[in-house]
Amino acid sequence: MLNASDRLSVSKAFVAKVVVFAACAAALLTFPSWAANPYILSAGVVVLSYAVLSTSWNFVGGFTGYISLGHAAFFGLGAYGTALLITKLDLSSFVAWFLAGVGVALFAIPVGWAALRVRGASFVIVSIALVLIMLLVFQSWSDFTGGSNGLVVPRPFPDMLRPEHHETFFYLFAALLAVTLLCWWLIDRSRFGMGLKAIREDEDKAEALGIPTYSYKLVVYVVSAFFTALGGGMYALWFGDLDPVFQFSILIGSYMVLMALLGGVRQLYGPLLGALIVGTALEYFKLEFGDTQFHLVATGLLLGIVVLFMPDGIIPAGMKLVDRFTPERSSIREMTAAELLERDQSESSERAGRHASTPSDPEPSTTEKAKR
Amino acid sequence: MTLTDAPPRESLATVSLSKSFGGVKAVDDATVTFVDGKVNALIGPNGSGKTTFFNCVTGMIKPDSGSVSYRGNDVTGRSPHRIARAGIGRSFQLCRIFPRMTVLENVLVAHRTDGLRSLLKGARNDDEIERARGYLRRVGIDHLERSEAADISYGQQKLLELAGVLMAEPDLIMLDEPAGGVNPALIGRIGTLIRELNAEGRTFVVVEHNMEMVMSLSDHVIVFDRGRPIAEGPPSEVQTDPRVLEAYLGV
Ligand SMILES: Nc1ncnc2c1ncn2[C@@H]1O[C@H](COP(=O)(O)OP(=O)(O)OP(=O)(O)O)[C@@H](O)[C@H]1O
Ligand SMILES: [Mg+2]
Repeated sequence: MLNASDRLSVSKAFVAKVVVFAACAAALLTFPSWAANPYILSAGVVVLSYAVLSTSWNFVGGFTGYISLGHAAFFGLGAYGTALLITKLDLSSFVAWFLAGVGVALFAIPVGWAALRVRGASFVIVSIALVLIMLLVFQSWSDFTGGSNGLVVPRPFPDMLRPEHHETFFYLFAALLAVTLLCWWLIDRSRFGMGLKAIREDEDKAEALGIPTYSYKLVVYVVSAFFTALGGGMYALWFGDLDPVFQFSILIGSYMVLMALLGGVRQLYGPLLGALIVGTALEYFKLEFGDTQFHLVATGLLLGIVVLFMPDGIIPAGMKLVDRFTPERSSIREMTAAELLERDQSESSERAGRHASTPSDPEPSTTEKAKR
Repeated sequence: MTLTDAPPRESLATVSLSKSFGGVKAVDDATVTFVDGKVNALIGPNGSGKTTFFNCVTGMIKPDSGSVSYRGNDVTGRSPHRIARAGIGRSFQLCRIFPRMTVLENVLVAHRTDGLRSLLKGARNDDEIERARGYLRRVGIDHLERSEAADISYGQQKLLELAGVLMAEPDLIMLDEPAGGVNPALIGRIGTLIRELNAEGRTFVVVEHNMEMVMSLSDHVIVFDRGRPIAEGPPSEVQTDPRVLEAYLGV
């Protein structure tokens, strides 16, 4: 019906996508060269690391709708795993980094196995418990982890000067982000991803249709933990100093959630966009006001606003706004409505023909809705 | 279309199935056998345990005791997706669809997947889309395939749910009040569809309060009261059974 014009608009949209993508990628990749000073550059590294973490969180949050506030557990384990493998086993930095990611993924199997049995608020609480347990363990087991004194991570590139170090890690984080996004995209368009999204919408119904929901959730939970741990390990290599209070903080976990929710959990670039906004704001506040608790209040307020007014995040909200100004896109819905009406009319006339006694009900769809 | 000479084969059967909620015995020692290849109706007053019986059979809730078998295999306590894969599809009393997916996606989701390979394949496989469209056409809502499922009317959502169930290609289809909250024209369409699908070899178990539909549609009627079957037989017999009349009118 709409095919010809559809195809045209699809290809237009495709071209627009490619252009926007190329522009954004170029802006991102040239950032180190136009960043004013090493401080700004290091802020850029922080924002990118947030983007990696939030996108990793979104494997669980976005696909299945399970809100984990405790993903900092995997972030911290990835960081400490990397550091300990380097210091205790003398592994080279990036081997340790990857092995830590794999180790955390394995660890996530029993954790997910237990945590994913509960849904909704109970799952949120279990996830918080996980990060608190990790915090306690890493604080009190100080012989091994350095406890509150911190743990120094040997630098992977000891000869580099600070700006060079930041620039290198900026690109490393960008590469990790690209791989994470690619993996999310692949799942998003797969049959597996469709099953996960069905879980988000109605888990019981998905089960009844033959989707092994529990296994699906567990697999994507492990994938999510893996990428979160890689983000944590990369952070350890970059920052070079670990403290349990920071690595296993509820705050880090909340940032991941906030950023993803803000950008839009259903969108590939949602968490990235959220990280750019929230991460930049956080870094700015720290620069302007120092290390006060002000940014916490701002974060809380922002989370409230997002949940109340933009439950789908700013990408869908923005798209709706664009829709309002472009007649072609909204015509899909209008078309459906028109067809609906046409069908309803033919149905009611059909019915009027058969049951001559019920002509008082010309629009079945409205009465059906009323009955609901 | 009521009685046949061939001996009935066993399709779905339960033995002493029981489930209580607190003190309420929702399903109470129910031993039921449904006839293969037929349209079985499960009727009974409100609260007689029909939906709970469905939930126990399809694994949505664990029965307290008793067993469920399908084609001779014990399926008691299996998870819902395994029961679905054994060939039992079901609809829900308060129609359940995936509201934020499109109509087409709602049907595509139900496709049975096997193996890692097929899981990682694109969700929008052409053959599957054609098959999904076929079922949408069958239930008569193919023109809505691009609408978001939340936006279509309740009656259309019921049809969509049915299309999703069909996509999984079950041999036994259990429908919980397919005509509930649906306008008369759609009731007619759903009835016709059930009869056609039955003619193609699918067995049905239909819970329904619309007696006109039950009597015209079913081959075998089982009457529930207070969590257990109290009568069964061809619709014409059940209709005049004094126990059934008492269950519906009495107490
Ligand atoms: N999840 C539940 N928790 C507690 N009690 C329940 C639950 N589900 C059903 N019941 C109770 O079990 C009994 C049987 O309910 P059920 O929904 O199975 O009846 P039904 O035959 O399907 O009724 P209807 O025709 O109204 O749909 C009722 O007393 C009901 O209140
Ligand atoms: Mg019921």
